[in-house]
Amino acid sequence: MRRADELSIGERAVIKDVDNSHPSAHRILEIGFTPGQEIELLNCSVFNDPLAFAIRGTIIAIRKKEAHCIHI
Amino acid sequence: MHSHIKSSDTNTPLITLVGPPNSGKTTLYNYLSGKKSKTVNYPGSTVNYSVSKILSKHEVNADILDSPGIISLVPTSPDEKVSVDTLYEHPKYGNPDIVIVTVDASQLSRHLYLVKQLIDSNFNLIVVVTMIDILKRNNKDIDIIKLSSVLGCCVVKFDGRNGDGIKELLEKTRDKIMGLAKEEKISPIAKFKIDKDKLLLSYKHIEEIENDVIIDKVLGKNGRIDIASLNENLVVLNNRRPFVKPDEKTLKLDKIFLHRYWGLAIFFIVMSFTFTAIFWIAQPLMDWINGGFENLSDFSSGLLGDNLFSDLISGGLIPGLGSVLVFLPQILILFLILEMLEDSGYLARGAMLVDKPLSLIGLNGRSFVPMLSGFACAIPAAMAARTIANKKERFLTIFILPLMSCSARIPVYALLVAFLTPKDKPYLGGIFFTLIYLFSIASSLVVAAIVNKFRDRIVKEKEDSSFIIELPAYRKPKLTVNLRNAYKNAKEYIKKAGPVILILSFALWALTTFPNYNPNIPDSDKLPAEEVNSLKNSERLSGSYAAMMGKFIEPVMKPMGMDWRIGVSLVATFAAREVFVSSLALIFKVTDDDETNHNSLLTAMEEAKSDDTGQKLFTTSTTIGLVIFFVFAMQCLSTIAISKKETGGWKIPILQIVVFTSLAYVLTVIVVNGLKAMGVS
Ligand SMILES: Nc1nc2c(ncn2[C@@H]2O[C@H](COP(=O)(O)OP(=O)(O)OP(=O)(O)O)[C@@H](O)[C@H]2O)c(=O)[nH]1
Ligand SMILES: [Mg+2]
Repeated sequence: MRRADELSIGERAVIKDVDNSHPSAHRILEIGFTPGQEIELLNCSVFNDPLAFAIRGTIIAIRKKEAHCIHI
Repeated sequence: MHSHIKSSDTNTPLITLVGPPNSGKTTLYNYLSGKKSKTVNYPGSTVNYSVSKILSKHEVNADILDSPGIISLVPTSPDEKVSVDTLYEHPKYGNPDIVIVTVDASQLSRHLYLVKQLIDSNFNLIVVVTMIDILKRNNKDIDIIKLSSVLGCCVVKFDGRNGDGIKELLEKTRDKIMGLAKEEKISPIAKFKIDKDKLLLSYKHIEEIENDVIIDKVLGKNGRIDIASLNENLVVLNNRRPFVKPDEKTLKLDKIFLHRYWGLAIFFIVMSFTFTAIFWIAQPLMDWINGGFENLSDFSSGLLGDNLFSDLISGGLIPGLGSVLVFLPQILILFLILEMLEDSGYLARGAMLVDKPLSLIGLNGRSFVPMLSGFACAIPAAMAARTIANKKERFLTIFILPLMSCSARIPVYALLVAFLTPKDKPYLGGIFFTLIYLFSIASSLVVAAIVNKFRDRIVKEKEDSSFIIELPAYRKPKLTVNLRNAYKNAKEYIKKAGPVILILSFALWALTTFPNYNPNIPDSDKLPAEEVNSLKNSERLSGSYAAMMGKFIEPVMKPMGMDWRIGVSLVATFAAREVFVSSLALIFKVTDDDETNHNSLLTAMEEAKSDDTGQKLFTTSTTIGLVIFFVFAMQCLSTIAISKKETGGWKIPILQIVVFTSLAYVLTVIVVNGLKAMGVS
């Protein structure tokens, strides 16, 4: 199964699930990364981390590790 | 019956404003209270609560409380905890009678999450929908009446740009307050931890509400349904939500500002421009202020004649104040640039760009904004660190904040840089100035990296570092608003620093003048008046109280290549750093000169000689040494106080005092002697 940190820039995917592998998994759900939601990887910072996603009409940046708990 | 306990015995109802970050709470608060709290295009601009009476013209007798942004009722960082606490158990205000929650219309599906939690917790709620203009720009609209009926609570619109909708909000608020008197107040249900299943269910419900109330204008255009939107609707049926594109302009700009390589280059250009501008743009304004104080000093000495009082006013207070106020333009420009950066929406991007490198040394991308505001003042900066959820990262950020060159150091550096800059190469000044800033940033990072090695011994906390930040849409900074805020900040700065500088200047003047006010100069009748005067001055100083105290600390100053006179000035800086300039001006007796204060102080520094060796006191090496001292020394009492408050103990502030003050001393000794050994005068 692929994860959100494996997306390439400009690629879209639908979230399948968010697992608990990171302490902020709950927060990620709370801000709207919920299953069924489509996201797009917009930008990544110089060191490939953090990643900026388009989600629900806004842009949210999260770390690679945090993106790793998002299954797509 | 109002169950909340208040310090005041009036029974004024309390209305608490909550809402997701950047949803327009403070904007609404300012409308209701007439206050001018800072509204910023950065999630996490408000980090503390503030309370005010609602303006009497609104005809609502209630207090309004503004709080930091929250995502949900389960807080993860101290700023969020402040908000949740004001909802449940505020020590002073108890819990609110009415809760107003702001919701960004263009972010409805995300922002209703908090609203649902508030409804489920039984709060007496008014929902205020903001940013409808942004929704309309995307050809959509919102059905407020429907939203109100599906949520089962009161919903009103509010436009933060012009205040439209405030009338209806006030009406509903009045109704609610009337209701308060009749019904028994229901206390909110205690904090709940929501599990994943419940959370997803809640979002499902919210998405249905969103589909109900958001009107897509494109869809119904010309009475025909176009294929694209029909497909979108099918998507919904397939349990997949349509993709909503963020603001187009923002996406385009981000392609540049968050570009892999250019992004970082632009970041460095923006930062170095900020620090260079402080020095270069301010010059003409500084000359102007300088001239003003010089005239004032001349005028008052002419008016008051030649006596003790005149000496106090025209030789002590006016030059003392002038030598600090001269740097006001630089401070104003710094504040203005920070304001514009905040308003543009760039700060959240900056935080994202530096998150990776900062996390390597135990900091967080969220440390960026506190560090940047540390260049204005460490006190609001330490409070801004509340947005960092992880305790270790937050404490480390607060720890290194004194190393950011705060605005109080601008006068000191400007004087020392002017001393170092060769007369024929004035452009070097700006470069030196920028170098000092870069040096202090670099040192703070090195210190952070070293302290980070001991982090587990200093703070016990689980490793749950995270970085999640919303990147707000870019906006053109509103120059008039920025100017007004910068002016307000600068005024605050003077109000705070002014009295301290005045009092200290006065104390120093007294200490350097007495008890030997009128020393006896032998053969004074044979010498020209000019010479008698200068002999008197130096005799008076060397017999003064300041000299007695200074001699006591001289052994400490010697290794740095400095004497007791600089020592006295340095001691004074532990009350406020800016005082350094005015105390040098006092001690090196620069009063009535044809030149301006600033320049005459430079000349006096140039001519000052060490008492016992007869060598020049201010040389390239000692001046650089002084810069180093000011970069590191922990000289500000208010910073110590805020460190204690924000970290909840004495451990961090004591560590700061010990580490930074000894670092300042040792490094200054090493640099001064090292430079001398290398042949630098
Ligand atoms: N276009 C538009 N902008 C608005 C509106 N209301 C507020 N703003 C802007 O949105 C930004 C955020 O507003 P604030 O009032 O600082 O938001 P806040 O909820 O207090 O934010 P935090 O304190 O960070 O949680 C500011 O730049 C406001 O000028 C509105 O109705 N329309
Ligand atoms: Mg606010």
